[in-house]
Amino acid sequence: MRIAMPEVAALERGVSLLGSGGGGDTITAAALLRRQLAAGREITVTSCGELPPSAGVAPVGVVGATAVFTEKLPGGGEFRAAVAAMERWTGTPVAAAVSIEIGGLNGIIPLVAAADLGLATVDADLSGRGVPRLDQLSVAAVGRGLTPAVLAEPGGQVVLIDGGSAAEVERAARVFLAGTGGWAALVLAPVPAGELPGCAVLGTLGGALSLGRRALAAGENPDPAALAAATGGRVLALGRVAEVSRRLGPARYGRAGFGRGSVTVEDHATKELLRLEMENEYLLALRDGTPVASTPDILAVLDRRTGAPILCDVVRHGVEVAVLQLPAAPFWTDPARLPVLAPRAFGIDADPVLLPAAGGRATGRRLLPGPA
Amino acid sequence: MSASVRRLLALAEWAGAVRVAAGGRGLDREVRRVSPITDPGAEHPLTAGELLTVVGPVDPGDWRLDALLRRAADAGGAAVLYRERGGEDVPLLATRMLADRLGMPLLVTGAGPLDLVVAARLALAVPELDGAELVMAAHRALGTRLHPPQEVAATLRALFHAPVAVLDERGEPLAGELAEPSQVRVDGPVPQRVELADGVLLAHPVLLPGATRPALWLATEVRGAEAAAAGILPPALAVAAGAVQRWLLAHRLETERDARTRTALLGDLLRLDGEPSADLRRRAADAGWPLGGWHVGIRVGTPSTLDNVARGPEVTRALRAEGIEAVVVEHGAGWTAWTTFDHEPTATRVRTLAAGLRAAHRELQRTMGAHMGVGRPHPLPDGLAGTIAEATDAARLAATRPETGRFLHVDQLGMAQLLLEWTRTDTFEPAARALLSPLHGIPGDLIHTLAAYLDAESSLAETAAVLGVHRNTVAARIDRVEHLLGVSLTHRDDRLALHLACRTVILAEE
Repeated sequence: MRIAMPEVAALERGVSLLGSGGGGDTITAAALLRRQLAAGREITVTSCGELPPSAGVAPVGVVGATAVFTEKLPGGGEFRAAVAAMERWTGTPVAAAVSIEIGGLNGIIPLVAAADLGLATVDADLSGRGVPRLDQLSVAAVGRGLTPAVLAEPGGQVVLIDGGSAAEVERAARVFLAGTGGWAALVLAPVPAGELPGCAVLGTLGGALSLGRRALAAGENPDPAALAAATGGRVLALGRVAEVSRRLGPARYGRAGFGRGSVTVEDHATKELLRLEMENEYLLALRDGTPVASTPDILAVLDRRTGAPILCDVVRHGVEVAVLQLPAAPFWTDPARLPVLAPRAFGIDADPVLLPAAGGRATGRRLLPGPA
Repeated sequence: MSASVRRLLALAEWAGAVRVAAGGRGLDREVRRVSPITDPGAEHPLTAGELLTVVGPVDPGDWRLDALLRRAADAGGAAVLYRERGGEDVPLLATRMLADRLGMPLLVTGAGPLDLVVAARLALAVPELDGAELVMAAHRALGTRLHPPQEVAATLRALFHAPVAVLDERGEPLAGELAEPSQVRVDGPVPQRVELADGVLLAHPVLLPGATRPALWLATEVRGAEAAAAGILPPALAVAAGAVQRWLLAHRLETERDARTRTALLGDLLRLDGEPSADLRRRAADAGWPLGGWHVGIRVGTPSTLDNVARGPEVTRALRAEGIEAVVVEHGAGWTAWTTFDHEPTATRVRTLAAGLRAAHRELQRTMGAHMGVGRPHPLPDGLAGTIAEATDAARLAATRPETGRFLHVDQLGMAQLLLEWTRTDTFEPAARALLSPLHGIPGDLIHTLAAYLDAESSLAETAAVLGVHRNTVAARIDRVEHLLGVSLTHRDDRLALHLACRTVILAEE
């Protein structure tokens, strides 16, 4: 599969929907992708099976403050430096790249990095949506671990972390990011292509592209039913944002935690109050006080007029929105992995409330194809 | 017991310390319980009427406040109260909007929530404490010894600060006063609560063992602001009803015992043959019964189902209302009574007496199916038996004669009329023939012998003289008559019936 200029908009819409309100703004990433395309680079997306089983697939992405990424643009050498460091440390050549997180800018950046490095990108990712922490990536969820991991920040510093649990890698990365430029290119240990199906969410790049196409096809001011049909989810509310409240979340690793907040949408038709609890992503939806949807399902707040997803950090009072619930990747609804992304993993003491998964694959309503 | 959220907010400890952040529409929700919980997400089975107090620190942005409001609303709870952390710690607009939408009051306090819980619980318990105190006071006042219903009503009136009345089985006040006693539905033997225009009427039945209809009712009316607290009165009313029931039972026992003594004494007097013994005279004197002078017997007959022990006082009252002082004794199905004159009464006095008795009888007939017979004046103790016998006979006749108002006075003229009228009836003659039929065709002209014997006041010698036979013959025939008819001619009822029957049969033959 090739990504050409016409596909960029659809891909952008798809990955921002999958971000569940997080994952960072995609404008810069999309601009970088367009620049690569304009420079004549080929953007190739290959399926996992097309690679030799032993080929090293390196998970790549941007970590840290995604807002800073937009202000402090990449110099262009970060991924090259990081991949070089990883190759040198492991002695394994990197044959292809895979996104660490399909939701948000990391759904696009690996394509840019791979094009720059002359690598193919595998149609998969390590999240299936937007996730806030490294220890929540699929490789960590299946117990594979994250190390060695390389961080390369725009200032030129490269750090390689080896050893330690996923949580410890997350902690070390945060400390490094706070002390440097705020964001860094991340490259994780290459996974042999043959092992990827067991530790990644497959088909997500193609899935995001297709979702984006369908969402764009619904047009501006989409009808709620059409919107639900196009995205394979359900509409939780159609109304106006009545309140956005932000506060500090509980501290983590002795530092201030992620900001917390809630968004309340008053439905025009029913007058019901839909309250979304958010951290970096929208995590829990309460309708008149009763939980009706939660992570790992994807909660998206769309601008009612343009249909564009509104990120947690820019949603504001008074906007007319539609709130959507999209089904989680089957990877996460497996009872063994559910706790990694369930509300309690975010300090929200509520049971997961998910769209029914039964028959999802058969009817084709599932947004993302599951692992083969 | 319960109170509205609004009422709790007016408590001294709550006023000023608790403000309504949202959900003011639900301030009239009923609070039945006030429970502390540690945090908004605490596991707590919610019940209707529960006011939840979060005693631990609450982040005003905590979504669990919303969830708690919702759970409280779903369970029919009363309100949610939490303690704010700082000065400007208002709940989120989202939370306030939800509270408004659900009509579930969201209360915020800067004070110690546990103190508020204690104050609210005490306030909720006040009516129960008041009620318990009232029951105790009623028990102290009425529990130890017997009190007549009038006294019970007066005691309750003082305890309730409200009018209290004792009503009889028809709902008429016996003691105390009530504005609307007719509101009590006297047929249902259960405590009642009747809403009045400006208050409430509470009534408790006094039931005697085995009875299906209450003997008495205790009722009170609470009006105005006090009516809201009327819920505490019924238990005290029940205690008082118990006291009245005890009094009734004790009283009843006394009257029953008394009635039995009097009935026995009357029986002895009626069987009297000659001068009464010293013992009998003493017993009569103890009972306050005059034996000397002239007596006029009175018989009040009733259906046998009537409780003549309990209702005896009504007869005395009715007679007294006509200025007639009489001894009234429960006797058979009804009462036997007599009034005594020091000297032989003149015809005028007898007529006045009869008129009074007729009036008293009319009064009694209003509440019971009574018939009355009155005898002629007879002197001295043995005359008493005579006049009572006449009265009894007359009453028996009166029962079958609605045209005389079921009242008959035996004077000489009246007696003759009575007999005439009696024997003219179509029903009597066949009955008389049937009564005497066993004597037909038996040798010895038994009917004429019996008639002569009764006419001669049961004197064998006189009868023998009238019939011209030997007195032993008369005795033998009378024996045979008694044997054939299966009666005893010493019994006055039988005698009267046979006497009348003989007359009728003989008259018919002529």
